[in-house]
Amino acid sequence: MDARERLNQLKEKFGPAILRSDFPNDSRLYVYVEAQSLKAICRYIFRDLDARYIISIGADDRPYSGDFMVFHDFAFDKDKIILSIITQIPADNPKVDSISDIIPGANWAEREIMDMFGIEPVGHPYPKRLVLPDGWPDGLHPLRKDMDWNHVPKDYDENREFKFGETPPGCTVVPFGPFHPTLDEPEHFRLYVEGEMVRGCEYRGFMVHRGIEKLAETVLSYNDIPMMAERICGICGCVHSVAYVQAVEYAAAIKAPPRAEYIRTIMLEIERLHSHLLWVGLACHLVGFDTLFMQSWRIREPIMWMAEKITGNRKTYGLCLVGGVRWDITPELRGELRQLLDKLESEWIPVVGAVIKDNNIQKRTRDVGVADKQYCKEMGLVGPVARAAGVDIDCRRDHPYAAYDRVDFDVITHDTSDVWGRVVVRAKEVFEAIRIIRQCLDKMEPGPLMLDIPEELPVGRIGISSIEAPRGESHHFVITGENNKPRRWRVRAPTYQNLQGVPGMIKDQMIADMTISLGSIDPCFSCTDRMETIDIRSGETKVWSHEELVSLTKKSLK
Amino acid sequence: MDSNIIQLILGGLANVFIVLLVAPFFQGVLRKVTARVQSRQGPPIWQPYYDTFKLLGKEDIESGEAPVMQRFSTYLSLASILTVACLVPMGFRTPMNGAGDAILVIYLLTLSGICMLLAGLAAGSTYSLVGISREMMTMLTLEPLFAITIVIAAVHTQSFRLDTILNGAIYQTAGFPVSGIIMLGVMLLSFQAFVARVPFDISEAETEIMEGPLIEYSGPKLAIFKYAQMVKLIVFSALFIGIFVPWGADLVFPFGWLIFWVKVTVLVLMVTVLAATHARYRIDQAIRYFAALLVVGIVALILASNGL
Repeated sequence: MDARERLNQLKEKFGPAILRSDFPNDSRLYVYVEAQSLKAICRYIFRDLDARYIISIGADDRPYSGDFMVFHDFAFDKDKIILSIITQIPADNPKVDSISDIIPGANWAEREIMDMFGIEPVGHPYPKRLVLPDGWPDGLHPLRKDMDWNHVPKDYDENREFKFGETPPGCTVVPFGPFHPTLDEPEHFRLYVEGEMVRGCEYRGFMVHRGIEKLAETVLSYNDIPMMAERICGICGCVHSVAYVQAVEYAAAIKAPPRAEYIRTIMLEIERLHSHLLWVGLACHLVGFDTLFMQSWRIREPIMWMAEKITGNRKTYGLCLVGGVRWDITPELRGELRQLLDKLESEWIPVVGAVIKDNNIQKRTRDVGVADKQYCKEMGLVGPVARAAGVDIDCRRDHPYAAYDRVDFDVITHDTSDVWGRVVVRAKEVFEAIRIIRQCLDKMEPGPLMLDIPEELPVGRIGISSIEAPRGESHHFVITGENNKPRRWRVRAPTYQNLQGVPGMIKDQMIADMTISLGSIDPCFSCTDRMETIDIRSGETKVWSHEELVSLTKKSLK
Repeated sequence: MDSNIIQLILGGLANVFIVLLVAPFFQGVLRKVTARVQSRQGPPIWQPYYDTFKLLGKEDIESGEAPVMQRFSTYLSLASILTVACLVPMGFRTPMNGAGDAILVIYLLTLSGICMLLAGLAAGSTYSLVGISREMMTMLTLEPLFAITIVIAAVHTQSFRLDTILNGAIYQTAGFPVSGIIMLGVMLLSFQAFVARVPFDISEAETEIMEGPLIEYSGPKLAIFKYAQMVKLIVFSALFIGIFVPWGADLVFPFGWLIFWVKVTVLVLMVTVLAATHARYRIDQAIRYFAALLVVGIVALILASNGL
């Protein structure tokens, strides 16, 4: 079914509630609907048409159209269509019907819209703060256009605390995080534990939100943002920069030259290789199997060297600009990359063999952290988590971008729905990534790396790009704007959805399985929080108080 | 004073001294071999000595809920395991022969385990409480195995004297020592758990509960706990050797002594390789495993009481 037929389906059912629609190409469909029937339309799309929920996005369009806007993005993976349901919310009454009761996976997205724009999701089941810190004053919404990017609220209340729910009877609270050896970044899970069994869990994260999206629409320009996007995450940075430039390219209806597309594909797959190898190692470490952890990381290291040779950096490749790429893959590098892939493949086969045959690892991962097909749909889970449950989705095939439509590869799925399935999926995806890079190297032809873009990009256009990151679908949304910068840029990393699925995965499991269950989604908190982590160690022995730290930060900012 | 007693005391002290001296070395061997298995360079073999000295020189932070209890349980854990060291032959005959019997050894070993529970309880952190609940479950299923071994040896020789039990008494039956052989297997399969290494380091499980009972310990107290764990590896090896493979201990001085340390090295290497090739068990899986071994142990005990 193509985009037009999908639109007709909606028009038949809802008629006058569909205000207008736009399909810039066969794979994107933007439908403007009336706010009153928004919920019914979303229910119809999600339940009856069986679309996959991606994300909800808010935007402050008051300076341009006078209204707020809310976008609900869905994917028809089999039809290769991404659908955005767009509602305009009056500026004087910023309220929208919550869809979280029909689509549980929309929980965070709607709370984020509430925090960032002050658009209240009416009927939300858990309307607590998500992104804003607890002490942040009420009624101040950072992503509204009338707030400056460097505004520091005067009445910040340091003593206000997050109100967690009641502890269930018979349970004790085990705090997991903000600092824990298996969490690389600060996030807080409040586990309700009965003996060794986890009975429930509450989440409070976003402790290191840096407001990257606000910066992008105020102080950065189109071609600054890819560099910033890359710094969202230390593992899958390239994904974010490619996803962002593609979203802009979609909006402006431009297309990068073929060679650039191949290079993007190669670098994305190199990133997948290093990320999956890193994860398999980490998963082994989480269950106490440090030998495979070390071996897996040893095998991974040459990939990092290769990335450094191509881009000058082990990570943070600085690869993409709107309309092309900055680095070329020279014939020498091509030969080296081929050799590396051969070596990697021959070394990875025994590791996969060791993991798959190991009784011990299976014991720790089978029937642990179960998220079945239905749960994946409800929560919008993506990537290896969904594929391990037999949900056959992969943006590389379903929503092809870069050069993925010109290469041949298999989408690996598994049917156990547990951590074990995720291990197998990731271990096997490494071979597919190797296959893709080899084909790209074969098919790549000489040509320009960058497109010449002489005139300003069109204003007020929507661009949506979904990319299969190592952890699942990374979704970028852009509205183009004036002054060489976007009006709105929204990043939805795969962990944003997958993390929401964790409480359901760990419920009624032993506390020992918590880390591996959480680890199995390969959580990338930095992607979710959209921030950078910096570790500074000083040799001095001094205990800093909170106030001192704050004043120190302010001093260093001046 | 009776020269015998002086000899006894000196013998005991010599054991304590030797164990304290070599325990970090074997830990160093363990770390180095682990590193080699993992394709790593590994720390220098003397690293555990440096680590221990460094920790001992650090500020003693009292961060738990009951500092006095924490200090007490720390010292007692090392002291009790060193007392066992006094009673166990280490390349010589049992130094404090007659000063204690096998029951005392069981008590002292349990005491060192209880110190760990006390330490965790006194620290009062949620993670240490989870850790000690695991430690307690492990102890309850693991300690009987050791007791059964001692009792079988005692049944065979009608004596709880340490010098007979730690001299192969477990095989001294009229016919073929079925029960002794069975217990050898059982103890080999559970040795890893007695010295609390992967896959049975469940009560500490760094990636799950952040070292469990030890979470609040740092500096000198941590050094002493770590030291106690290193000593434990040697003492359990010595006990294992005494009970199951005592042969060669009677040779003239350097040979008997050397043979003993060769055996310890073999055991440490076994522990290392097992730890490097396994993932950690979950507590319920471990308990099921110990319970199965316990059943086998009880069968062996029945056989032993029937003279086998």
